[in-house]
Parts: sequence; structure tokens; C-alpha cells
Amino acid sequence: MSDTTAPKGKLKSATPWLIAPGVVWMILFLVAPIVMIIYVSFWTQSTFSIDSTLTLASWKNFFSSEAYVGALWTTIRLWLIVLFLTFIIGYPAALFVGLLVKSKTVSTVLLVLCVIPFWTSFLIRVLAWRPMLGKEGAINIILMKAGIIAQPIEVLLFSELSVVIGMTQIYVVFMVGPIAFMLGRIDRNIIEAARDLGAGFGRIFWKIILPLSMPGVVVGAIFVSVMVLGEFATSGALSGRKVNLLGNIIVTQVGSLKWAMASVVGVILTVLLGIVVAGFLRIVDLKREL
Amino acid sequence: MNQMNSIFRLEGVSRQYGDVAALDGINFEASNNEYISLLGPSGSGKTSLLRVIAGFEKPDSGRVWFEGRDITDVPAHERGIGFVFQNFALFPHLTVFENVAFGLRNGIKEVPQDEITSRVFEAIEMVGLAGLEDRGTEQISGGQKQRVALARTLVMQPRLVLLDEPLGALDANLRDRMQTELRAIREKLDVTFLHVTGSETEALAMGDTVAVLDAGKVIQSGNSSEIYDAPASPDVALFLNRFNLFDGVATGTTFRGPFGQVATPVVRKASRDVYAIRYDRVQVFNMGDAIPGPALDARYVASEYLGSSIMYFFEAADGKTVEAEHHLSFGDPQDYKVGQHYVLSWDPAQAIVFGQEGAE
Repeated sequence: MSDTTAPKGKLKSATPWLIAPGVVWMILFLVAPIVMIIYVSFWTQSTFSIDSTLTLASWKNFFSSEAYVGALWTTIRLWLIVLFLTFIIGYPAALFVGLLVKSKTVSTVLLVLCVIPFWTSFLIRVLAWRPMLGKEGAINIILMKAGIIAQPIEVLLFSELSVVIGMTQIYVVFMVGPIAFMLGRIDRNIIEAARDLGAGFGRIFWKIILPLSMPGVVVGAIFVSVMVLGEFATSGALSGRKVNLLGNIIVTQVGSLKWAMASVVGVILTVLLGIVVAGFLRIVDLKREL
Repeated sequence: MNQMNSIFRLEGVSRQYGDVAALDGINFEASNNEYISLLGPSGSGKTSLLRVIAGFEKPDSGRVWFEGRDITDVPAHERGIGFVFQNFALFPHLTVFENVAFGLRNGIKEVPQDEITSRVFEAIEMVGLAGLEDRGTEQISGGQKQRVALARTLVMQPRLVLLDEPLGALDANLRDRMQTELRAIREKLDVTFLHVTGSETEALAMGDTVAVLDAGKVIQSGNSSEIYDAPASPDVALFLNRFNLFDGVATGTTFRGPFGQVATPVVRKASRDVYAIRYDRVQVFNMGDAIPGPALDARYVASEYLGSSIMYFFEAADGKTVEAEHHLSFGDPQDYKVGQHYVLSWDPAQAIVFGQEGAE
């Protein structure tokens, strides 16, 4: 007996050591910084210095400032718009790649094609929208040459619209991937069974395909939400400073050494992300799918 | 088979996958209210045939008739033909009740809610799953999944149900029980079942009519005893897995094989010369015994106990395995010595002989 239990016992005592590096890493680089940010958000900020006297001043400052609260709403609004657009654009694409393409090879090739934009850097991808959307950019030139418009459309660049276009283009692939993966896992016989029972394509989509792909939608939505809510680069590069997201505020506050206010915004952003992710996880029991 | 009584009819149905003809000009007619089993080795096109009848695939040529109507161009969801999948294909996110109710809720015809409820309960009751309505599909066993799949199809009251190796995923014990139940359920409902299988015992046991499919063609169809007693070709005899088949040369009246030259009263027309003798017709003699008929020298290899009978395996001089089945009701099993030579013989009148020069 002792022979058979010994390795098991050894394994048991080794288990904590297996997760130790991860735990240490997470404490050092995740838990400690978050605790620090929460702590710093209560520090006293003066123009050129900061000291650790606890105060609610920065928090009061945030919620009484129209600009800051406005940024919170802008962030939420843009997040919802981009989330909606990535879903609306991404789902049909995923449906095609994951379900309608019969050959697994073709569907893999199509998925790889989706990530080709990622072969270039994030900043380039964002900045590339400027010559596309600008007043003398590609879209305006084409539309004018084609005689569809007489004046260049100015709202295309340095507006909320350009930020939405930029973010949707960058993040849509994170929606396509997980959904296509879930759709690819659906047993084709199930769909045929539904057809055999008399259901047309619409019924099959709403009653079978969509529910079975929900885990993919939720994972995709979490990816997109986490990235969009923390965004600052796209809005910085494409909005002409007209659109301020929480991320942009953190950047400017840190830039002017306003650590306390940056921490307040950081905490708010973290809480917001937590609520959003928890909300999505309530929709689908992901544990069942893993 | 008259027109009135026919439930479906295939007219020269062909289906090609690349260079391979899965279905090669199939003509087949099935009478109403029957259990038809379709026997074929894997790759014989039996699943393709079901998929064409169900409408999941279109034939390259030929027509499919169902209840007197040409349904070749009717989409699957408008055909009203039931299909039971080999892997059951239950909807994994729905309960047993909702799985069975799916067709009633989402089908072409609008069905009132209380009728849905009563029909679903009735169907679940019929397949013996009463009480499991609220279970998820992960919370029931393989046999129960099979029953849900069946109930889900039958609740739609189809006139024709296609079953694609429905018992293939079940263990042997359950398979036997489901065979009986499938037949009983079919008789109660007055529908036609077309049951595809690769198992010759299953096909012979279940089918009122057995159709044998090979290389995309129906090579024989008839009732079980017709098929069993009079296979139409060497291939049918091979699929039945009940015959020793010997190659040789058939002349009009004799067959020369590894067992010598034997007189053959009847030779059936076939593409090659084959001598077939059923396992249970083969008798084992000791070397030196006086043998009246054909005599095949063979080395004893092993035996297999089958309950009501015992199967002896011999190896002939050319390395071919020859099987002899001994029914235990005809006496106790013999002890043969492994490696020792014996003589196998049989009554030549019981052999089935195929020859290129035979009669049609």
C-alpha cells in the first residue's frame, strides 16, 4: 500500500510549489499594484508634489468635474457602440468562416487572413486610418472623383466616428475568432436534425446556432470590452483630442504627475471592467464549455 | 409491389463524390408500413442513400418519389421524412422535453401549445422515458439518448423514418433490446422504417425486407430468408458472413475447387466462379473416414463458443480460413486437436454455386 500511496503523497506536497511562481508573480505585478493604486487614490495631491496624507479630495474632484464624469460616459458609450458593431460585423463573418465553409483548411486560412492586420504594429494600424479618413484622404478623394460628394466629408477624421471606425476595425477580429471557434464545434448532424424536423434556416439560427455559439460571443465580448474600455491610443490618434476616454485621462494625469487623480480613474476603470466581465460571465456558464 | 402500396421509390439515383460513385443508378421501391433494412459494408453508399432520401444531399441524377410525389427538389425541412442519426445529434442545450418538442415548435405547421405538450409526453412515454422530461442531454445514458432521438423523430408522425446505423453506438446487450423495441414501435405506428446497418445479423433480424447495397448499387432485395437461403451473388453471400466461399472453375454441371470436382445441379449467373457453402452445413470428419461428397483437407485452428452453437475454424492448404458451425442441439461439441488435419465435407445439394456461364 505504501508503495502506491507514496507517489500520490509526493504529488500532493508538490502541488503548492507548482502554483507558487504564478502566485508570486500575480502578487508582485497584479495585486500589489492594484492595492497601491487604491491607496494612492486617497493621497493628498498638491500642484507639484504628493504626500500620503489620506483624503477624499481626488475622488470628490472626479465626481464633481463635468469633464471627468463626461469621460466616463463617453467611455461607456463608445464601448457599447464598438461592442455592438464588432458583434454585428463579426458574427456573420464568423458564421461564414466557422460554419458555412465546409473545408476545415479553407476556414483556417480565412481565420489566418483575419489576423494579417496584426502583423503590423498597433500604432501603425491606428495611424493608417489618417490617410484613409482625412479631408484629403483616400475615401474623400474616391467619393469626390466618383462625383458622389462635392465637398470632402470632414466628420470622417478627428471625430467620434473615426474613433469608432478605428476601434471596430482593430477589435472585430477578437469577436470573430472565439465565435468562429464555437461555431466550428457544432456537430453538423445537429443542424441537419433540426432541418429534418422541419425547421427553416431562420429557426435553426435562432434556436440552435445562436444559443450554441453564445460562449464564443461572450468570450469575444469580454476580449473586446477589456481592450476598448482601457483604450487611449486610438482615441488619442484619431479623435484630434476631441474624444476623451478614461484611458486618455490617465495618460494626461500621469503626464502632469497628478498621481492621485490618475489612481482614482484607474480604480474606476478597474471596477467598471470587473462589473462588465462579471456581467458577461453570468450570461453563459463558461465552465461547462472548458 | 403495386403503386398504391409504395411509400417511396428511387429512380436511377446517382451521386458522385469526386471520382467515386457513392450511388450508382439506384432503383428501389419500398412498400408502405414495413421494416426495411439496408445492409451494406462501409463505403457501400448506404449513408449517402439515406441523405439523398432525407434531402440533405441532392442526387446528381435520378428522381426520388415519396408518397406518389416527386420530392427530388423539395428541401429537407419540407419533406416530412424522419431521420435518426447514428450519433443521435440531440440538441445539447435543450432538455429531453424540448428536444422532442423541437419539431412541433419550429416546424412548418403551427401546432398549439397544449397539443405540443400532450404529443411530446406521449412520444416520451412510448419510448419508455417518462419521468426524464426535464433532464439535460448530458444527464442521460447512450440508450436513453437513442430513445430521445427516436421520440424526437416519431413525434412528428412521419410516414417514413430513416435510421442511420441507429444501434451502432450502443453496447451489445442494449442493441438486442432496442432491436425488439424498434420493431414493436414501428408496428404500433404503422410507419415505414428504413434501417441502415453494416451488421448482417441486425439486417436479417430486423427487416421485413432486406436490401443489400454494394458499390452504390442495390444488388439484392427480398425478405430475410430469401436473402439468406439464396444470395443472388458472391458479394451478397460474402456480406451475409454465413458462407464459406471458394474460388474455382465452374463448368455447366461441375465445379472444381480446392475440395476436388463436385457435381453442381444448379449454377447461378455471376461475374465470377464461386462455390458457397453455409457454415452450419459443413461437417468435420477424421482423416481416413469414407467421404461421400466433396473433401477438403484442413488444419484445425481454434473454436469459438457462441452459446447455442460452436464455431470451428480450420485452415485450408491455400491458407484460407474455413468455418464450420455446430449447433449444440445436434449433439455435444467435438474436441479437435489444434494443428491436426481433418477433412471437411458437406452435402453438395446444399451448396450455392455461382458461375459466369450460369443461368440467370
